[in-house]
Amino acid sequence: MNNNNNNNTVDTCNNSQRTEKVYSQRAKRWKLVIAGLIASLIVTIIVSLNIGYTFISYSDILTFFGTRIPYVNNLIDTTAFTREQLANQAIILDIRLPRILAALIIGAALSASGTLFQGVFRNPMADPYVLGVSAGASVGVGIAILWGTGINFFGFPIVPIAAFLTALATIFFVYSISKVGTRVPEMSLLLTGIAVSIFLAAIFQAMQFITTDHKLSQLVNWQIGSITNVGWANWWAVLPFIVAGIALSYFYARDLNMISLGEDTAQHLGVNTSRTKKILLVLGSIMTAAAVSISGLIGFVGLMIPHITRLIVGPDHRLLIPTSALLGAIYLIICDNIARSIGGATEVPVGIITALAGGPFLVFLLRRSRQKYRM
Amino acid sequence: MVTLNVNGIECRYGSTKILSNINLNVKPGCFIGILGPNGSGKTTLLKSISRVLKPHNGSILIDKENIYTLKPKQVAQKMAVVPQYNDVGFNFSAMDVVLMGRNPHLGDFQMESSKDVEIAKNAMELTNTWTLAERPINELSGGEAQRVIIARALAQEPKILLLDEPMSHLDIINQIELMDLVKTLCTKNNLAVLAVIHDLNMASRYCDTILLLKDNTIFALGSVEEVMTPENILSVFGVDSIIRKNPITNAPYVIPLSPKKLSEEKNSSIHVICGAGTGTTLLKTLRDEGYNVSAGVLNVADSDFETCELLKLLSLSDPPFSAITDKAHEANLAMIKNANMVILTAVPFGLGNIKNLEAAIEATKYGIPTYVIDETPIIERDFTHGKAISLMQQLKEHGAIFVKDSTELPHSIIPKNNS
Repeated sequence: MNNNNNNNTVDTCNNSQRTEKVYSQRAKRWKLVIAGLIASLIVTIIVSLNIGYTFISYSDILTFFGTRIPYVNNLIDTTAFTREQLANQAIILDIRLPRILAALIIGAALSASGTLFQGVFRNPMADPYVLGVSAGASVGVGIAILWGTGINFFGFPIVPIAAFLTALATIFFVYSISKVGTRVPEMSLLLTGIAVSIFLAAIFQAMQFITTDHKLSQLVNWQIGSITNVGWANWWAVLPFIVAGIALSYFYARDLNMISLGEDTAQHLGVNTSRTKKILLVLGSIMTAAAVSISGLIGFVGLMIPHITRLIVGPDHRLLIPTSALLGAIYLIICDNIARSIGGATEVPVGIITALAGGPFLVFLLRRSRQKYRM
Repeated sequence: MVTLNVNGIECRYGSTKILSNINLNVKPGCFIGILGPNGSGKTTLLKSISRVLKPHNGSILIDKENIYTLKPKQVAQKMAVVPQYNDVGFNFSAMDVVLMGRNPHLGDFQMESSKDVEIAKNAMELTNTWTLAERPINELSGGEAQRVIIARALAQEPKILLLDEPMSHLDIINQIELMDLVKTLCTKNNLAVLAVIHDLNMASRYCDTILLLKDNTIFALGSVEEVMTPENILSVFGVDSIIRKNPITNAPYVIPLSPKKLSEEKNSSIHVICGAGTGTTLLKTLRDEGYNVSAGVLNVADSDFETCELLKLLSLSDPPFSAITDKAHEANLAMIKNANMVILTAVPFGLGNIKNLEAAIEATKYGIPTYVIDETPIIERDFTHGKAISLMQQLKEHGAIFVKDSTELPHSIIPKNNS
């Protein structure tokens, strides 16, 4: 009996020390997780460059990167390249890399904004779609396409700009009409978001009826969600918004932890709740609009990736925001690899792949989480 | 020394006032209990003090600074809140939740240091939750989660602690432990505590000041003894009560009485001959049924006598352990004459109270319906060498109705569902 008691005391003591250690050294562990994911992302990019109709060897891929790195490029003799090697370099630069990098930033943006929306609304079902942000962006894109694409606006293509404006207008509209006094209850916000979303989707469909055949196919192609035609110009146009969005939302990660416990609790713990919520919603909308404007509607990434990431790394947003962005990037690159390999000559839009993979997975997750969590 | 001043605040919801004219000064080491019926504005008051609900008029000052001009973080460094509902959306561990209490003390990008972990650990040890540190908070029981939330508030190292019904999820031992802990922090660390409490006796046991809210404003504010009076409790809660001293802590102890059934107020009187606790339940049941109940003759300090005192029933008494005097017996007979019915309980008879049995026989002679509750055979409770047995026999002969227990009394007297 005595022995037992002693053992228990020792165990509790060890546990207690372990808990202290675990929490004191969290930052170090988190950095390792993020470094591991960045390494996986780089490997995914290199492997994905290898995939496609034309065979490009890994040595060509590594050579391609070598020529772009200062000092290393002095060691590579570009004049000795064969014609085939030169052609491969061109394929990587003009076709495969922009597409992979587009998948990277779109996946990261959708996952990061999904994470923000789920945290702010304390609801794992919240995502850019539910709140009407995606629908808002799509109306902007629709207007821009009907107006005629190719019009530059301060050097940027008009489509992303229009998507930003309408997405922001939508989230502020949804936010302000769901406001009660000085506060914004989650339920009223979600319901308003769904209503506005359906309304805007109808407007987008109406556009398809009133337009010409040529623009109709543009609208439909865009709506399906594909990253075939992103190109470097569009990529550079939206990149700053996505990078800034993720970086700034990381700045509010700890506040978001407390907001996800409830508005009042966050307030009690010293968070300026209503201001922080507003900022996070704007950041989420900007990232969504940036992604949507160049890729169309790619569903389920913003809902599924944050959810899966939370199951793996836990709910702390200081780890969740960067890891879900990285996992989202890896996920969308892989989905796009599938999209451009399975169809042979005809490509499958990546939005179809994410929906086909995401739908059943989400149902599986919901059934599982119903038993495991009270969410 | 952190003080909290609430100056004439008024809160409205639309055009409805939900709080008006609240003035309150809280000094360090003060334990204030906020009491009041549902909807009297208790939670609203805590919400406005905790900077969640901005009052339309008036001001709330911490150390002479308005909380609405201070940054939320500055307020959170001085004031912690344990809210009423604690559903946590995502599956944070208990330790994660407690560490969030360190937020007001951390810079924007700062991670919790080992010092913060140490503070969180101490807070969890105080609330007996350290062993739960790594468990997901959604998997804890309501009481465990509540204690984790209290640990989070303590991790803020506040000077003022607000609690909104902190005991609602706790069982009795956790209630006592929690209140003991809060009281200790209050007296030893000079923490000022404001707690919304439903349990009047918990409030009077632990608080030094009571704030009684009624109709969205302060009805009474003062020491426990000043505020906990039957008059105040009747006008605020609408319930009759008796105030006694808690025999252990000496704090005022409130015994609420169930409201009389006014709709069934009966004009008939019942006289109960009892003693030694045999009449306690019956007396209360009859009172609740709306009868005019009297009892006699009892000894002072007899438990049935105390029941009569508590229930404010008419009773006749003699000094403790003394025999019934002739004077008391006469008075008893007078009461019996005025009654519509007499009930004799299964009281043990000794030479001291044998006169009560004679009084019952007199009742039958007056033609008053007399019921005898014969739960225990008279042989077992006769301590008069047979005198009580023969008187009981006479009682039967005079037409008294014998029943086995009080549930066998006619339903016209006590409805069955209310026995």
